Amino acid sequence: MARLPIKFAVAFISLAACAVYASDSPNRYQLNAGIDASYINASGYNSWTEGSVGKLLYDDTTDGLKISQAFADMEFWLTDTLKARAVVNAYPDDLGSLVDFTQAYLEWRPVPRSRNRYRLKVGAFYPHLSLENVSAGWDSPYTMSYSAINTWIAEELRTIGAELSVSRRPEVFGGAHTFSLQGAVFVANDPTGSLLSWKGWSAHNRQSRFNDKLPLAPLPQIQPGGLFEQQDPYVEPFREIDGRAGYYVGGEWQFDRKFLIRAMHYDNRADPLAFENGQYAWATKFEHIAAQFLLPANWNLMFQWMNGSSAMGPVVNGAHMVDIDFDSKYLMLTREFNRHRVSLRYDVFEVTQNDNTREDNNPEDGYVWTLAYFYELSNNVSIGAESLIIKTHHCGWIYYGLDPTQKEKQLQLTARFRFGS
Amino acid sequence: MTFSRIRTSRTTKRTIQRAARGPGRLLPLCVTLLFSATVSGSEIDISVLDRNGKGVADVAVYAVRTVGNEKLPTPVSNPVMDQVDRRFVPHLLVVQTGAAVEFPNSDSVAHHVYSFSHPNKFMLPMYKGELHPPVTFDHSGVVSLGCNIHDHMLGYILVVDSSVFTKTDKNGRATLSVDDPEAYTVNIWSPRIRDKAESLSRSLDSSRDPVTFSLGKKLNPPHHGPTDGNSWPDYQ
Repeated sequence: MARLPIKFAVAFISLAACAVYASDSPNRYQLNAGIDASYINASGYNSWTEGSVGKLLYDDTTDGLKISQAFADMEFWLTDTLKARAVVNAYPDDLGSLVDFTQAYLEWRPVPRSRNRYRLKVGAFYPHLSLENVSAGWDSPYTMSYSAINTWIAEELRTIGAELSVSRRPEVFGGAHTFSLQGAVFVANDPTGSLLSWKGWSAHNRQSRFNDKLPLAPLPQIQPGGLFEQQDPYVEPFREIDGRAGYYVGGEWQFDRKFLIRAMHYDNRADPLAFENGQYAWATKFEHIAAQFLLPANWNLMFQWMNGSSAMGPVVNGAHMVDIDFDSKYLMLTREFNRHRVSLRYDVFEVTQNDNTREDNNPEDGYVWTLAYFYELSNNVSIGAESLIIKTHHCGWIYYGLDPTQKEKQLQLTARFRFGS
Repeated sequence: MTFSRIRTSRTTKRTIQRAARGPGRLLPLCVTLLFSATVSGSEIDISVLDRNGKGVADVAVYAVRTVGNEKLPTPVSNPVMDQVDRRFVPHLLVVQTGAAVEFPNSDSVAHHVYSFSHPNKFMLPMYKGELHPPVTFDHSGVVSLGCNIHDHMLGYILVVDSSVFTKTDKNGRATLSVDDPEAYTVNIWSPRIRDKAESLSRSLDSSRDPVTFSLGKKLNPPHHGPTDGNSWPDYQ
């Protein structure tokens, strides 16, 4: 499977819809749709989506009135225990078609016969990592821009395979404790790590769709005559390149909605020497820990930490030609006051370089401050504002004659519409 | 012997159904109905206290006849276990054996209620706009409820061989009315109580003195779902 053809996804959802409508129970669907209309004022380097190095989705040449998020999240119950879910996102940019799929999978949810619950997902979906992206369409109810970790997950990470999870029903532990374990085997996520290495961390809310082509800056190493000149000027993160399956295992413990801890070990087991059709395979692995606490006065504290590595190319002088470690963590405080929600998040991020390839200079470090506010006008409409500052020091930017230290700022005013049927 | 029965008119039934649509509104109504039903017989006051002496709310309290045979009256109205805001409302419902429980689903989303509690196993898919029959519980015992679509949902139905039952109020107090107390035991149950079952049953005598259950073990914390107050949402 070279690419997830869009035809497959369209066929998948059409068949699911037809099966449901043809069944005895035409009401077995749930549609959640959302659209964010925003006024955005951004400063800093031109956006990475324009083929530059800016960390944001917008810059002072592209900001203004925007549809900053648009999705439809559809669920169809094919039987009482088999669900088909598909999520499409629309982005009016040049990275792919206007509308494409971010997730499409089947989930088998057998009715528990004991105190264990089993769930099996097959298809393309997000691994169970983010604490922020809990709304329909994998969107965040807390901020408009995601944390650095979840922005990277949105850009480059998707399970395209099968995930089995088992959880204990809560009454086993007196109704307050919930335990679950997950394991997955996946294919087609081999180029993941390209963007972290060559672009670094970002902060935005764009979720890559199956057939998106994510642009790279005109790095010297991917230009004609460069070390990786075969690399396309873009990344297709969901392609299978080496024919090797990856895996992850994870678990979660939740206590009375007051405390939650979640952990995962991920390894795409990619062959760092594999290359196909303009895309390299990157051997990417990480550990991830997330924790959430209900603090006094109903403040919610969230924490995610991801630490991993990515490598590509043959080993030269004891390291792959591109060999990085990456690390990011954030803390977010959020609270609801009736119809108001306030969230404050602080991210730090880092990429360190282990290789000695002088032509490929990727180390960076930085931080992000995000302050967001939403006011719920009705069940369907919220308005909000977000201020975001991201400061980065990236060694590779000197190649373009740019200052390696840059502070980018973004102010966003949003009208958020959400509909469910 | 006969028990005072709750007379349920059509209007009352509608009121119950309406009340069930708002969380927390059902309980006071049940309590009111119970009090209005217990105009005759001996009233026994019951208190349930935790190990710190504080009253425990929402504990099922029921009287079971241990002397002679009792013919339970036919349940005249269907108790309601609603789904409101992706929660079971009430969290704990007490019903008489043989009762047919309605699961109306006041949410706009589908639910799929099930229980694997032997011998009251059942499953009930509830899609939007579809009618579903009530579920009859022919065996006494604890029925723990789940939703196969929303894994966090948890509720309980306690099926008792008795028509004399209620739940404690917020101060941990309840009142039962029986004709000849010495023929009865009074029992309590709650998913939060961890004490041994033997200590949760008490024989009544003719004194009609108040009965106090003082629990020895720490209570399980109350169950919270993602739509309870300041809780966090579940992953989509």
